[in-house]
Amino acid sequence: MRCDHCLLEFPEREAVRQEVDGAARAFCCAGCAAVYRVIAGEGLGAFYAARRWDEPGPAAPPGGADPAAFAGLLRDAGPGAAEIDLAIDGIRCASCVWLNERILSRTPGVLSARVNYATHRARVRFDPGRVGLEAVLRRVESIGYVPRPWSESEQGRVRAAEEKDLLVRLGTAGFLASQLMLYTAALYAGYFQGIDPPTRRLMEWIALGLALPVFLYSGAPFLRAAWAGLRHGRLGMDSLVALGSGAALVLSVAQMLRGGEVYFDTAAMIVTLILLGRYLELRARGRASEAVARLARLAPREARLVAPGADGREERRRVQVAAVAAGERVEVVPGERVPLDGVVEEGESEVDESLVTGESRPVPKAAGSAVIGGSVNLHGSFVFRVTRVGKETVLAGIVRAVEEAQARKPRIQAVADRIVGWFVPAVLVLAAGTVAAWLWRGAALDRALLNGVAVVVIACPCALGLATPLAVLVATGLATARGVLVKGGDVLERLARVTDAVLDKTGTLTRGRPALRQVVPLGDLSAESALRLAAAVERRSEHHVGRAIAEAARALPGAPEPGVEGFRAVPGRGVGARAGGEAVVLGNRALLAESGVALPAGADAAARRLEEQGETVVFLAAGGRAAALLAVADAVRDEAAAAVASLRALGLRLAVVSGDDRATTAAVAARLGIDRAVPEATPSGKRDGVARMQAGGRRVLAVGDGINDAPVLSQADVGMAMGRGTDVTLESADAVLVRDDLRLVPEAVRLSRRAYRIIRQNLFWAFFYNAVALPLAMAGLLHPIVAAAAMAASSLFVVGNSLRIRSGAGPAARG
Amino acid sequence: MWSVGFLIILSLALGLAAWLLFVWSVRSGQYDDPEGPKYRMLEDDEAEEERRRRRPG
Repeated sequence: MRCDHCLLEFPEREAVRQEVDGAARAFCCAGCAAVYRVIAGEGLGAFYAARRWDEPGPAAPPGGADPAAFAGLLRDAGPGAAEIDLAIDGIRCASCVWLNERILSRTPGVLSARVNYATHRARVRFDPGRVGLEAVLRRVESIGYVPRPWSESEQGRVRAAEEKDLLVRLGTAGFLASQLMLYTAALYAGYFQGIDPPTRRLMEWIALGLALPVFLYSGAPFLRAAWAGLRHGRLGMDSLVALGSGAALVLSVAQMLRGGEVYFDTAAMIVTLILLGRYLELRARGRASEAVARLARLAPREARLVAPGADGREERRRVQVAAVAAGERVEVVPGERVPLDGVVEEGESEVDESLVTGESRPVPKAAGSAVIGGSVNLHGSFVFRVTRVGKETVLAGIVRAVEEAQARKPRIQAVADRIVGWFVPAVLVLAAGTVAAWLWRGAALDRALLNGVAVVVIACPCALGLATPLAVLVATGLATARGVLVKGGDVLERLARVTDAVLDKTGTLTRGRPALRQVVPLGDLSAESALRLAAAVERRSEHHVGRAIAEAARALPGAPEPGVEGFRAVPGRGVGARAGGEAVVLGNRALLAESGVALPAGADAAARRLEEQGETVVFLAAGGRAAALLAVADAVRDEAAAAVASLRALGLRLAVVSGDDRATTAAVAARLGIDRAVPEATPSGKRDGVARMQAGGRRVLAVGDGINDAPVLSQADVGMAMGRGTDVTLESADAVLVRDDLRLVPEAVRLSRRAYRIIRQNLFWAFFYNAVALPLAMAGLLHPIVAAAAMAASSLFVVGNSLRIRSGAGPAARG
Repeated sequence: MWSVGFLIILSLALGLAAWLLFVWSVRSGQYDDPEGPKYRMLEDDEAEEERRRRRPG
C-alpha cells in the first residue's frame, strides 16, 4: 500500500484512512494525512490529481473517543490544574510527536503537553475551568490521531517499577563504590609507602561504612534471591554474588580486627558490576518487547454493529469487539478485518483468510457463507450475523493453542547459570579443602578460616555478571538496527543453536498477494500486447487479480495502453470492456463460454496444467477470439532464494509448511530447492509436527506471519514473525522481523551464533583470570591489589570482547 | 590530620549531594524518555512561540 501524500510504501495494517473532500484516502501516518488536508483545504488538491496513484483506500467512518472512558484517569495536579495520560495511536515518527505536542499546547487552557517518544504516551496538564477533557480529545482527533485511555499492562507496570528500582540501586552502588575507591587507593599507597596506624584505621572504618550500604541496600535483591535459593537447595548466580561479596565483607572485618589487609572494594565492586549487568539486560529486553507490543496494538479492536436505532431505522455504531453478542449483525467494509466468526447475510465479497487458515487464494463470500474472525475483507461490503464470540471463536482457539505451547516450552537455562550451577559447589569444596589443608599443616583455626574465605572471594568473578548481558546488549542493539526485534537474551542463545528451520509458505516465503506469473498467447497477439490490452481493462478493476495484471504491465516499455470504454465487472467471473475498438473479455471459463468465445485446441489443457500448479488462470478474448492465458499466483519473494541458500549454508535443515494444497506448496518448495514440504497443515498440525521434530532432538526455528502460525511459533525453540503479522502472531513470537525481508532470518541466526560464541569466550576468561589468582588465595598470599587487578582485568576483557560482536558484523543487508 | 579529616568530610558531603541529585532525577522521570531530547533539540520554533506568548494580543 502506498501513502496518498508521500507515496511511501507501507504495510496495509498501518494505514491511516480518511475521507478528504468526499474521497477516501490512505496515508502512512496521521502527519501525512494532516498535510494532505491542509493542501486540499487550501484548494491546492490539483497537485495530487497531477500525480498517478494506485490504491485509494476506503475510509473508516470517524467515531470520536468517548470522554467517559477517560474520566477515571484524570488526576488532580494542584490548584486549577488536572493531568491525564493518553495513549496516542497513529504516531509513527518524530514529526507526529511534534505535531501532537504543538496542537495540544496551543489549545487555550492546556498548560503543558508532553509526548513520550518511546511509548507514545501524552501527558496533558490542563485547566479544567478553561478547557474540558472532551475538547482535548477532539483536538487530538482533529489532526487525525486517536487518543485512547493510557492503560499500562500489569506486566509493563511491574517492569517499569523494577527498572527504576534497579537504577536507583545501581546508581547508589556506583557512587559509593567510587568513593570507596578513594580510600582503598590510600590504603594501597600505605601498603607500599607505609602509613601510620591511626590513619589506616580511619580509612578502614570509612571504607567499611561505604561498603555496608552497597552490600545491604544495593545488594538486597541478591541477598533475597540467595536466601530463597538456599531454602530450595538451588545455588545460582545470586547465591554466588551474595556469597562472594558477603565473604569479602566478612573477611575484611576480620582482617581489620587482626590488623591485616581489607577487601571492601572487592565486595562493593562485585555487587556494582553485576547490578550493571542486570540493568543492561532488563533495558534491552524491555525495549524489544515494547516495540513488539506497539506493533500489536495497531490491530483494530472495534466492530461496526448494525442495529435498529431509536427511530426504528437501521443504524451503524462502532463498538468494542468484546461488547458484541452472538446473533447481532456486524458490517465489514473493504480493507477491514472481520472481527468475529459468523454467517454472511447481505452483500458479497472476497475474503483473504490466509492469515487464519494459510489458504493463499481469496475465498468468495456471499449470503450464507461462513466468515472467520481475523480474515481480511478485500472488496465489497457485507453484513454478517455473529455466531460465535469470546472464547468460542476460531481465533480464540488458536490463542489457546499458543498459550498451551508456551506453557509447555521448557525454560532454557542460560549458559552462565549452567556454569554457576556446578561452579558454586566446586568453590565451596575448594574453600573447605583449603581450610583443611591449613589445619593439617598446623595453622591456627582463625588463620585457616581466613584463607578459606579468601578463596571464595577471589573465585567470585564479577565479570560473570557482565559476560552475558553485555554481549546480549550489543547483539540485540545490532539486531534492532538491522530490523530484527529480539525479545530477550535467551532467545539469542536458543537461536544460535537451532538445527532446523520451518518456513511458512503464504506471506513468508511468498508475498502473500498475487502477481502475474506468465502470459501464454493463444492467437496472433504477442504476449506483450496481450498483457497491455488486459492491463488497460483491468486497471479499472478493483479485484486483486486484476490489480496484479495491471501492476505487471507497468514494467512494459513503450507503446501506450489502448483507450477503454464501457467497462463492466461480472462478479465472480471477470470483466469486460471495449478497448482498441474491439470487445474485450477477461475472466474464467464460464465468462468466456457466456460471451460465446471458443477455446482453441490445447488451450484448455494448458490452463489445467497451470491450475494444477496452484495458479489462477485468466482467459483473455478480444474481438470474439481467445487471445491469451494469463497465469496469476502468489509469487515467491525475490529474496527468498537467497535467504534459503544462506540458511542452508548455515547448516540448517529446511522445511516448508502451508495450509495450502499439495500442488501449490510443492511448487514453491521445488522452486526454492527445499525438499521437505508439508501441505494442508492446520495450526495444531503444524505445532505437532514441530513438537515431533523436537522430540527427535532437533532444535527448531519457525518463521511465519499468520494467526495460523502462532501455535507453531510458540512451540518452536525460536519463533520468528514477519512484522506485517497480526498481534497474536507478534506476541507468540520470540523475534520479529520489522522489515519485510526474509534475508534477515539467516542474518539473525548468524548474529546470534557470533553473540553466543562471544558469551562463551567471556565466561571462560571471566573465570580464567580469577582462577589464576586462586592459588595465591589458597597459599594465603592473596593481597587486595591482586584481587582488584584480577577483577579489573576480567571485566575489561569482557567489555572489549563484547564490543567485537559489532565489528565482526558484515555490512547490513539492504532490501 | 585535620586537613585529611576535612577533605574526607568534604568529599563525603559532595558524594551525598550528587547521590541525592541522582535519586531525585530518577524519581522525577528524567530517564523515562531517552529518545525525545535528540529530536526536541531540532525543533526550532520554540523561540517564535516564546515571542508570541510574551506579546499578548
